[in-house]
Amino acid sequence: MFDQTKKLPKMTRRAVNGLALAALLSTSAGAVLAADQPTIRLAINQSPWLDSFIAMVDKYEDETGNKIELDVSPYAGLLEKVRNSVRGAEGEFDLLNINSLWLSEIYSGGFLAPLGELSDGYALADGVLTYGDTVSWNADSNTFAADGALMGVPLNGNVQVLYYNTEIYAGLGLTEPTTWAEVQSNADAIQAAGDAYGFVTRSGRKSIVYNFTPYLFSHGGSFFEVGADGINVTINSSEGLAALDTYVGLATQSGPPSPGAVEQGDLIQLLSTGRAGQAIAVIGAWGGLENPEKSAVVGKLNAALIPTGAGGSASSAGHWVGGIPANISPERQQAALAFLTWFQGKDVQTAYVQAGGVPVRGDLAGGALSANDTYRFIDAYSANAANAVMGLPVPEASEISSAVALQLNRAVIGEMTSAEALNAAAADIATIMEREGYTVTRGDDL
Amino acid sequence: MTNMHGMTPTQRSNRRWITVSLLPAITIFALLSAFPVFNLIGLSLFKVSWEEGKAVYDFVGLSNYKYLFTEEEIYWAGVRNTLVFSVTVVTFQMALGFTMALAVMRAGSIGRPLLTGVFLLPIVIPPIVIGTMWRLILGREFGLFNQILDFFGAGPIDWLGNPDLALGAIMFVDIWHWTPFVFLLMLAGLEGLDEEVLEAGRIDVRSFWQELRHVLVPMMLPTIVITMVFRIILSFKVFDEVYLLTSGGPGTSTEVVNFSIYRVFFAQDRVGDGSAMSLVTLVAVAGVIVVANLVIKLARRRASHSEDES
Repeated sequence: MFDQTKKLPKMTRRAVNGLALAALLSTSAGAVLAADQPTIRLAINQSPWLDSFIAMVDKYEDETGNKIELDVSPYAGLLEKVRNSVRGAEGEFDLLNINSLWLSEIYSGGFLAPLGELSDGYALADGVLTYGDTVSWNADSNTFAADGALMGVPLNGNVQVLYYNTEIYAGLGLTEPTTWAEVQSNADAIQAAGDAYGFVTRSGRKSIVYNFTPYLFSHGGSFFEVGADGINVTINSSEGLAALDTYVGLATQSGPPSPGAVEQGDLIQLLSTGRAGQAIAVIGAWGGLENPEKSAVVGKLNAALIPTGAGGSASSAGHWVGGIPANISPERQQAALAFLTWFQGKDVQTAYVQAGGVPVRGDLAGGALSANDTYRFIDAYSANAANAVMGLPVPEASEISSAVALQLNRAVIGEMTSAEALNAAAADIATIMEREGYTVTRGDDL
Repeated sequence: MTNMHGMTPTQRSNRRWITVSLLPAITIFALLSAFPVFNLIGLSLFKVSWEEGKAVYDFVGLSNYKYLFTEEEIYWAGVRNTLVFSVTVVTFQMALGFTMALAVMRAGSIGRPLLTGVFLLPIVIPPIVIGTMWRLILGREFGLFNQILDFFGAGPIDWLGNPDLALGAIMFVDIWHWTPFVFLLMLAGLEGLDEEVLEAGRIDVRSFWQELRHVLVPMMLPTIVITMVFRIILSFKVFDEVYLLTSGGPGTSTEVVNFSIYRVFFAQDRVGDGSAMSLVTLVAVAGVIVVANLVIKLARRRASHSEDES
């Protein structure tokens, strides 16, 4: 269809595309159509999935005639670019790719235009994932909430999944685990065989809070609960203790000798070289792990639902959200919204996956795409994405994460017991939140 | 004709001209140096937040400092590590740099440029490349060092992942990186020494060690002092090696002051707290430099006094 439209006169082609898009997104996008928009500038990070996103930008430009300029920065530099742009009198960028860790800061600062203010009644297309309601912000309770204002559209769904090496599994007669006990049992078997680490955690200080979150929530715990009266710190609960004991056990008994220094790059390296039999890692790594130039385990890895505990299964949201700044002209805001609307389409998301991206729709699972071995991660990804949680859903997330990371890391490297680490983390959370003016309650120490 | 201050009109006029012509430069320099510091002082007394896209400044007095001194555990771990780091690397760099400069001075016409080129190589490599390179060398699983150890049937050692070794590994990389800087200044200092005075000094000594102790080191003292002060200041600024190799971990074993400030100021956007940390660090480094200068002056005075006596 797209080739045919290219042969039509420019105006006719745009009209056809506009009608097609309107039909495709009629349930959500209302009157927002992608045609005749001014060129927009999009701030985005350099990442393994960037090429797949660029392919979608090219597709959008071909289909609509609209133009998008990408401003690509390393991960660490993007946040400063975003801050500088949204804090100025007039924004440099029309669309911002915002990491889940930065969402609360950007939302609470009032830097984005709620999509409902740009187009009355605007809602995400059916099937688009919300990753623990992180696309909406409730300014009154200062947290993410499904009943809050819609602030953006996910652009990449980078949640964590359970990876396992099928070759190692087959050699040892192991089956896909569904509980933490089964993960530990498989890890013990792999470790005993001696050719690979049984299970690798991502326990360096930069990563540990993100990596630990699925353990905590699947054991029925949480970092804290946000209520109308303030914050109730819950990390040092019996559920939290069970989660950290599981985590430390896997990290120290089945992983590399110094797990407290393992960051994302190290973990992916261990997976890609076949040195890790199992790990919980981001689905964004899948493309690299299936690339023969970067991986020795092409076709040998599989993705699964993160194991279930007393609290069910949970994954941590690590996705990216496209947000439209408040400090740009209405024309540019509409142009950015047109792209976001187009991007949610099922055909677009299918093409995104085929280009190597991670989709932001959950309804691609169980279809023709997931039946294709190349995209065998889709079902596991969709299941984990549906369980994604935002562990620290407040603007102070970054400060809390830094403090908690140190205490969890200390538990992994043996400087503290699990109980001591959780008590220290709870005290740190309480101190930070009290200083920020929250009313804080917390239970007795473990 | 002279006035009561013993200056002629021409001398007075010259002095006025010198003062007036220097004034713009002094003013610009003072503004560029003083303004950021005053800005830092001001920000350290506020909590800065953002509401509806606008910055909100809440005056909090000294509470950022109180928080820093009572609650910021990671920062103070960084202070301890930075002091250990600074003393260790500067000591090694001074000793190695001076030794390398002496070796080059004594090398032949072919060896001299060759050694100079080789010794200077680390300082011209960009920090990001150094981080990548040493991460590959020191890595536990696939690192070059461990492959060498493995060849001899030893290891592997987790240079960056073991809390007891990680800071040592960072210091090793820093010594490798910055010793050429010391070498360069020492070489310039040695080449600038008066050859006649050196020759005269050599007549009175019996060995190289006596020459080193009684001739070279005393004559090189000004260069040594300046180089050491430079290196102390630069060592307190350590950031890139920590950021690229360990991110401050495991635990707080490689946390350094600048990394704490970076995290608080940029990653966490806590402008008030970050300013308070920066100011405390600034004052501490200035204090260290003042104390170092005093100690050096005392040592020089004592040395010249003992020479006079002998």
